[in-house]
Amino acid sequence: MRVRFWGVRGSVPVPGDKTERYGGNTSCVEVTSASGTRIIVDAGTGIRRLGKDLMRDESESGKEVAHLLISHTHWDHIQGLPFFAPLYQSGNHLYVYARRRDDLHLRTVFTSQTGDPYFPTSIEEAKAQISFRELADSARFEIADVQVACTRLNHPYVATAYRLSVDGASVAYVSDTAPFSDILFENEFIARPPMTLRPLPEVDRAKLGLMRDGVVRLCEGADLVIYDTMFTPQDYQKFPHYGHSRPRDAIDVCREAGANRLILFHHAPERSDAEVDSILADARVEASRLRAPFTLDAAYEGMEIELGKPRTESSPPTQRRLG
Amino acid sequence: MEVTFWGVRGSIPAPGPGTIRYGGNTSCVSVRTAENALLILDCGTGARNLGLALLAEDSPDRFASGGGEAAILLSHAHWDHIQGFPFFGPLYVPGNTFWIYGPAESSALLEGILEGQMAPQYFPVQTLKNMGARIDIAAMTAGQPREILGCVVKTALNPHGRAGAMAFRIEQGERSVVYASDAGYGPGGPAPDVLALYRGADLLIHDSTYTPADRLRYPERGLASVVEAAAAAIRAGVRKLALFHYDQDYSDTDVDALVEHARREIGAAGATSIEVCGAAEGSTLTV
Repeated sequence: MRVRFWGVRGSVPVPGDKTERYGGNTSCVEVTSASGTRIIVDAGTGIRRLGKDLMRDESESGKEVAHLLISHTHWDHIQGLPFFAPLYQSGNHLYVYARRRDDLHLRTVFTSQTGDPYFPTSIEEAKAQISFRELADSARFEIADVQVACTRLNHPYVATAYRLSVDGASVAYVSDTAPFSDILFENEFIARPPMTLRPLPEVDRAKLGLMRDGVVRLCEGADLVIYDTMFTPQDYQKFPHYGHSRPRDAIDVCREAGANRLILFHHAPERSDAEVDSILADARVEASRLRAPFTLDAAYEGMEIELGKPRTESSPPTQRRLG
Repeated sequence: MEVTFWGVRGSIPAPGPGTIRYGGNTSCVSVRTAENALLILDCGTGARNLGLALLAEDSPDRFASGGGEAAILLSHAHWDHIQGFPFFGPLYVPGNTFWIYGPAESSALLEGILEGQMAPQYFPVQTLKNMGARIDIAAMTAGQPREILGCVVKTALNPHGRAGAMAFRIEQGERSVVYASDAGYGPGGPAPDVLALYRGADLLIHDSTYTPADRLRYPERGLASVVEAAAAAIRAGVRKLALFHYDQDYSDTDVDALVEHARREIGAAGATSIEVCGAAEGSTLTV
C-alpha cells in the first residue's frame, strides 16, 4: 500500500511562507492498495490537490470509485470536499463513511455544507454518484481488498479512528483525539478547563479506559500510526478541553501497541516549520529516552510512504484511477 | 483611511509555495478610519491573522482586554467570505463588541446563517453565544445607506449566486473606499446603481478572479475577469484600482500577469490617471 499526505494541518488552513515545508492545508490522507483500491481519510483542503491529481488523466475519466472515511465532520476535516474535482465528473462514484449519530444524518451534514447560502452547488447536484455509509463505533468491514476497523476517539462531538490493512501491511489514523485521562468528551460544549485536582467520576474513568484500550488495539502491530499531536504540553495545560493530544500521548499508545512507525499529524495552525521541526526533535528525544522501538516523523504535505507488498507493473497505475 | 489586505483569494484557501507573495488566505480586508474606527470587509481565513494582529500587545484597539469595537461587513455568505469568522480571536474576548452587517431578508436570517457555521457538527464552539464577545447582527438592504462607526456606508447588489453579493462604499469626509468582491456582471457590466456606488472612489477593490479565457470557461460562477474589473474602474472614474479575489489555482506569476493585463486595458483606454495594484496579503494602502 501507498500512503500519501495531502493536508497535515489542524483547525484552519494556513497559507504563507512560515508553513511552506510542512504545508498549510487541512487534513487529508490517501491510502491506495497495490491492486488500486483508493481510500481517502478526511476531506480537509488538502483533498483539492488530490482531486486535481486524479483528474489529470482524462483517458480514464468517469470510471472509477473512491472511498472517503471521515474521522468527524469538524470543518478542517470536510471543508475541501466541495472542491474535489472528481465529484463533478459523471460516472465516478464516491462512498462517504462516518460514524452514525442519533441526532443527525451524515447526508445532511454535507448537503447543508454545500447548500444555499454557503456554496453555489449542492453536493446532491454533483454529477458523480455519492453514497453515504454510517458506521457503528467499532465497525469492521471490507472495502474491496482492504480490511477496515474503527474505534471511537475522545473528541468534542466524538471522532472515529480507522485502521486500514492490505498488502500485508496496516496503517492507523488516529485524529482528532484528546488523551484518555482528564476529560471525557461527548456532545456538550466545554467552556473552560475543569479543576485539575478534581478526580474524574469513576464511570467516566472506566469509559475512557475502554476507549484507550480500543485505540491501543487498533494500533497493535501497525506499520504506521498517524496521530493527532496538535498540542505541546504547554498547550494541553491551557486547553485540555479542546480535544487534542501531545506527542507523548501518541508515543505511549504506540509503545503499548507495538507499532512500527509514528507520524505526528494535525499540526497546529500557529506552528511554523521551524517549530514543527523542534517538536519533532523533542519527540524523538523523548521516544529514545523511553526506548520506544519505532521510527518517528512529522507529516508534511507530499509525504509518501510505501508499506508491505509493492505495486507491480501489472497493477493499474493507482495515481490515475479516479477522475 | 488605511486599508489592509488580510486575505485576497477566492473560493478556498490556497497554501503552497506558489502563493507566497500575494497570499493564499480567503477574502478579508480591514479599513481603519482617521478617527481610528475599524471596519472589516468579509471574514475569509485572512481574518485569523487580522485577529492575531488586533490581539497583539502593541495594538491600540484594546481588543485584548475586552475594550475593542469593530464593524464587520459581509458581502455574502459563501464560505470564502465567512470561514475565518470562527478563527477571529477578538470574538472570544468578553467585552469586545462587533456590529455585523450583511445582505439578508432579515437580521434573524443573517444570524441563522452565521449560527449554521458554528453548529456542533462543524465546529466545537457550537454557537455564536459561546464566543464571548457582544455580537449585534443586522441585515442591510441594498441602496439604503447606514452610518457605521462614524462612516457613511452605501451599498448595492452585484449578481452572484442565488442572492447576489453586496458591494460596499465606505465614506468618511471626502474620502471613499469601495469593496466589490464577487461581481458576476452581465454583458453590459455593472448595473447603473452599482456604477453610481463605484463613481469617483479613491480606491476600488474589485473582484478580478479570472483571466478573460477562464471567465468564459466558468460563466456560471458569477465572478469577474480582470478586463471587467478594469472596465468598471474606467467607467466609474476611480483613482485607484486594487485587483482582488484571485482564483485559487493562480500562482503569484499568474497574478502578476493579471496586474499587467489591467494596466494595459487602462492604458489602452487612455485612463492613465487610474493607478492599478494587485491586492497582496499584509499590504496596506493609504487613502
